[in-house]
Amino acid sequence: MAETIIQLDNVSVTFQQKKASVQAVKDVTIHIQKGDIYGIVGYSGAGKSTLVRVINLLQQPTSGRIQVGDDVLFDNGQEVISTKTLRQKRRKIGMIFQHFNLLYEQTVIQNVGFALKHSNLDKKAMQAKALKLLDMVDLADKADAYPAQLSGGQQQRVAIARALANDPEILISDEATSALDPKNTNQILDLLQRLNTQLGLTVVLITHEMDAVKRIANRVAVMDDGVVIEEGSLLDIFTNSKEPLTKEFVGAEKGSKAIAALEDAHLAQLQPDEIALQLIYFGESVSEPLVVTLYKNFNVEANIIYSNIDVLGETVVGTNFVVLKGTDDNRQKAIDFLKKANVVVKQIKAGDVDHG
Amino acid sequence: MAKTLANIFPNVIYQGWLGDGGWWTSIVQTLYMTFWSAIFGGILGLVFGLALVVTDADGILPSRHLFSVIDKIVSIFRAIPFIILLAFIAPVTQKIVGTQIGTTAALVPLSLGVFPFYARQVQVALKSVDHGTIEAAQSVGATNKDIIVDVYLREARSELIRVTTVTLISLIGLTAMAGAIGAGGLGNMAISYGYNRFANDITFVATLLVLILVLIVQILGDFLARILDHKNA
Ligand SMILES: Nc1ncnc2c1ncn2[C@@H]1O[C@H](COP(=O)(O)OP(=O)(O)OP(=O)(O)O)[C@@H](O)[C@H]1O
Ligand SMILES: [Mg+2]
Repeated sequence: MAETIIQLDNVSVTFQQKKASVQAVKDVTIHIQKGDIYGIVGYSGAGKSTLVRVINLLQQPTSGRIQVGDDVLFDNGQEVISTKTLRQKRRKIGMIFQHFNLLYEQTVIQNVGFALKHSNLDKKAMQAKALKLLDMVDLADKADAYPAQLSGGQQQRVAIARALANDPEILISDEATSALDPKNTNQILDLLQRLNTQLGLTVVLITHEMDAVKRIANRVAVMDDGVVIEEGSLLDIFTNSKEPLTKEFVGAEKGSKAIAALEDAHLAQLQPDEIALQLIYFGESVSEPLVVTLYKNFNVEANIIYSNIDVLGETVVGTNFVVLKGTDDNRQKAIDFLKKANVVVKQIKAGDVDHG
Repeated sequence: MAKTLANIFPNVIYQGWLGDGGWWTSIVQTLYMTFWSAIFGGILGLVFGLALVVTDADGILPSRHLFSVIDKIVSIFRAIPFIILLAFIAPVTQKIVGTQIGTTAALVPLSLGVFPFYARQVQVALKSVDHGTIEAAQSVGATNKDIIVDVYLREARSELIRVTTVTLISLIGLTAMAGAIGAGGLGNMAISYGYNRFANDITFVATLLVLILVLIVQILGDFLARILDHKNA
């Protein structure tokens, strides 16, 4: 049974500036379940950072309600938690940042120790715990180095160790891989995923790189201009998105563009016995030689005009835009067959529509 | 050798080592004034500088009113020329020290003269700490005290040492003017015994000693700032 761990209801954040006021977050409601890796994507300035900084009240919202775990932090326009309790609560919400934000005048182990300052561990236990955390991120051998002596990826791992020092249930990652090269990016993402499976850590992953989301997220919210315009499971967002921006992010517009190009060419001249479909299929069905099967079993010719394969976490998702040619009856049979094989079939355009 | 020195610097030799107007006495007076006003003015400046950063709009305890009050105090004190400050606060000095003249009396105007300068320098130094670092500290539940001590002061420590060096050097300059209220020191030596009595050799040597003092402070400051800086590997 899923359990909501982060509950943001009707959250708005307005920045009052001298002249203008900026509404960075507009009436956003999202509920994040325990154990989720929840991706939040959107272009720069969409309000992603502002939204997540609200979760641990680094940013006070203008209105709305914030609940983390069993504690309501903010309601009716004010904090409903004491400063002291908030500090304790924050220790249970780890956070990592694009620029790591380490203490550069303290060694790696001191950086982790800093987060343990108010734990009731004694000095020795603190040291041991910090070392254990560094070991978890494969940096035990760098304990006495200064952050500036480490690579970006290593610095981010120190930041992760620091964020996890107080055994949080939530880790917020705000563009944590944006300053890293692809190899380090994947290392960090895989680490987050490992922490998610091993510790049951709920991860909120803010990014503008869709690849990061594809790799590890299970749910996605898309933000634009302060608003969450679309939200759903990773598969849903990838295969069934409705908003143009979402399509742009997931790359679905590539197919549509192919269609548009073809519309000028021969798709506009679909014969009465032709139909244009988008086929999305998952996992094992990907490897099925569809074209052959359709022709053999139903005497339907399938002409693939665009094809793409995505890997979403563990799932392989294929997208094909095809034109089917055959008798009405056979085409229908072919479509039924596809649906039975768990292929999502969307009609793009039918030849007979033009003639109807 | 001693004979030649006496020929080149007759007045310098005449001043002697100890006693009123002696070289050693003057050096000690300068060091004494610099040291104690650095302590008092330094603490005051640090507190004001820190308060400016903490109460600023993006600080950890933002307060528009407090900020503007502190800001104005610093600005006003900074605007008063030191030589006027000397005279202006003489009654206050009288209250605190019991006399308006002498080396110890000079500590009051020196401290008050140097603190606004230092406060501004501290403000700039602390502002060099990235706001993200403070947010990161807050995100692990750091208290305001943690943030002041472990983030602001510690992260900016080499910056702080650099601005302290600059402040100390300008403070040494201020001590020269404290001669005007009978505080003695090397500056006074150069003016009262050297310049006013046409004893150019005294002015020369006194200046040389001040330069050496400044140089020592500069070298020490640079060294400390360098070894305490780990921001660049
Ligand atoms: N402290 C602030 N004061 C005023 N305006 C702000 C402040 N913080 C953010 N904003 C504004 O709010 C909007 C959203 O900013 P935010 O940083 O949340 O975007 P973002 O989606 O995280 O972007 P990025 O991908 O560049 O990090 C922007 O228009 C930004 O200028
Ligand atoms: Mg951001």
